[in-house]
Amino acid sequence: MPRTKRVEPEKEIKPCNPYLPKLYKILKYNKESSDCFLIRLDYKGSYEPGQFFQVSLPGIGEAPISVASYSSTHLDLNIREVGNVTKAAAKLKKGDTLYLRGPYGKGYPMEKLFGKNLLIIGGGSGVAPLKGVLSYIDKHKDAYGNVEMFFGFRAPEDILFKEDVKQWKSKHNLHLSVDKNPSKKKISCDVCFVTNIVEKAKLNPENQAVFMCGPPVMMKILLGILKNKGFQDNQIYLSTERMMQCAMGVCGHCMIHGKYTCLDGPVFRYDEIKDYTYD
Amino acid sequence: MLKINKASFSDFLTDVMRYNELVAPVMTDNSRFETIKDVSKIDIRIHAYFPAKKFFFKKCQTLFTYYDGKIKVPEIELDKNQRIMIGLKRCDLNSIKRQDIMFLQETKDPYYQEERERTLLIGYHCSEPYDDYCFCSSMDLGDFYDLMLYEKDDAYLVEIGSDKGRGFVDRYRKYFWDTDLYIRPHERRTETRLHLNKREISGLRNNPEWKKEISKCFSCAACVTLCPSCYCFDLYEETNAKLDKVQKKRNWASCQLTCFTKVAGNHVFRETREDRFKHRIFHQIKYFKQKHGMNLCTGCGRCIRGCPTKINWVDMLNRM
Ligand code: SF4
Ligand code: SF4
Ligand code: FES
Repeated sequence: MPRTKRVEPEKEIKPCNPYLPKLYKILKYNKESSDCFLIRLDYKGSYEPGQFFQVSLPGIGEAPISVASYSSTHLDLNIREVGNVTKAAAKLKKGDTLYLRGPYGKGYPMEKLFGKNLLIIGGGSGVAPLKGVLSYIDKHKDAYGNVEMFFGFRAPEDILFKEDVKQWKSKHNLHLSVDKNPSKKKISCDVCFVTNIVEKAKLNPENQAVFMCGPPVMMKILLGILKNKGFQDNQIYLSTERMMQCAMGVCGHCMIHGKYTCLDGPVFRYDEIKDYTYD
Repeated sequence: MLKINKASFSDFLTDVMRYNELVAPVMTDNSRFETIKDVSKIDIRIHAYFPAKKFFFKKCQTLFTYYDGKIKVPEIELDKNQRIMIGLKRCDLNSIKRQDIMFLQETKDPYYQEERERTLLIGYHCSEPYDDYCFCSSMDLGDFYDLMLYEKDDAYLVEIGSDKGRGFVDRYRKYFWDTDLYIRPHERRTETRLHLNKREISGLRNNPEWKKEISKCFSCAACVTLCPSCYCFDLYEETNAKLDKVQKKRNWASCQLTCFTKVAGNHVFRETREDRFKHRIFHQIKYFKQKHGMNLCTGCGRCIRGCPTKINWVDMLNRM
């Protein structure tokens, strides 16, 4: 009897392997602050603001980075040097290549919010995903009502996207602040926490949607402030941070109470996750 | 109904082994599923201490290699032998179903798919619970197998669960006999001595009973390593000594370790042992069910049996 070969597989083994990254070229590299840099890649696929990509450097590893643009011709990633991968990526330059897989996750529900006034609050590198939101708004003029922004950075040197900031100031209502100004630079923004300005601001919750992204302490304080001002939990969208590995909802690392941050997030509506005081 | 006589069972297995990879429970230093070389070692009644998971979802899998500026994927060998896995218990089979959901439905995992598709699953029904740690009768397990064997005196009654199973029976038809015997409803059940009485555990998070049990936990991760349903993994890279080859690999991971939720910048989300332990139990009997309509846990008892301090979380939940 002949050796029984494997019977016809029921399904063809698909050549598409979800774990394989692809190589992209760096079109632009810009140092934004002492620990942040922005790279533009020749990625031409589609993605939404609030989604993220897994950036990988062979031999070092992968890191999830959220998108900081909205375009069909390129992709901007703002990278903060906090881990091995991001520190190594900082040494790249224009013309170098980089492995990517993605986009992953659920971003901000931009379409669902057509017609709303937007309140956008960001702190530090948390402003990066919101930069994606703003370029979306730019490409969908008149789709939204009033756009009010509050961005806070540590010090004047840490202000990211200085060129964009100028534009945002002229187009929208931008409140810019820095926590401190140790080098006593001449600056045209408030010196206080971003939360303080939000607290003082006159905000009308009606027909509003709030986007926020930044350090957990900042978001926690803001949630309290917004609540006092009459905002409902289901008006607030926030970005969460978790350990991510597979980015496709299997490896389990990013799970918060049965929800996968990489699949059901990273942007959540606050009422969906607010009871998760645990983990 | 078909039956296979116990007298000819080992001839049957020998015949199967000749042209296929045969995997069955054996007793070595401990009980486990192994690729069989000698059919006399097989005892299909054994509820193996180690699950059969490693045959599909490998402990360590090389996903691809960066080499010479390119990505190379390990060749998928299409002419590997068919694998016949025999002696899987109802809990084992249901756990494979859970893993299928994660690796074939939720994601399309070519590595898992390859191993899974070349395997035929032959179950063995436990008429008695294997020991006091089994609690499958409280877990609403379904029928999931290609073939299922039921003890009936000097024969096994054979139930066919899929076309793949039918094809196999046709191929080895000479060992299978028609019979008037049949399986009565009570013979399909296994009444375990341990029961999980709590169906809804959402309100139990802050119950003081947790602390008592968790104080005995070392975070050794034996429980998740032995679980046939647990599917979490780590991705990591390994560079060779010449630094010209980088392998991307996947290993089993454990939610019981702090590194499981550590992000860049060293913040750990589930810092305390208590949070991690609760996360495991909630995933097993709540979160997975919310999403997929069935518990992740199939009541095999391995996590209690294998725990160095025998933390019986089923009893613990019952006490709440
Ligand atoms: S096997 Fe027991 S001691 Fe080890 S991590 Fe699991 S529950 Fe804790
Ligand atoms: S949680 Fe324990 S009893 Fe349930 S399937 Fe896993 S090892 Fe078995
Ligand atoms: S990153 Fe793997 S499940 Fe979310």
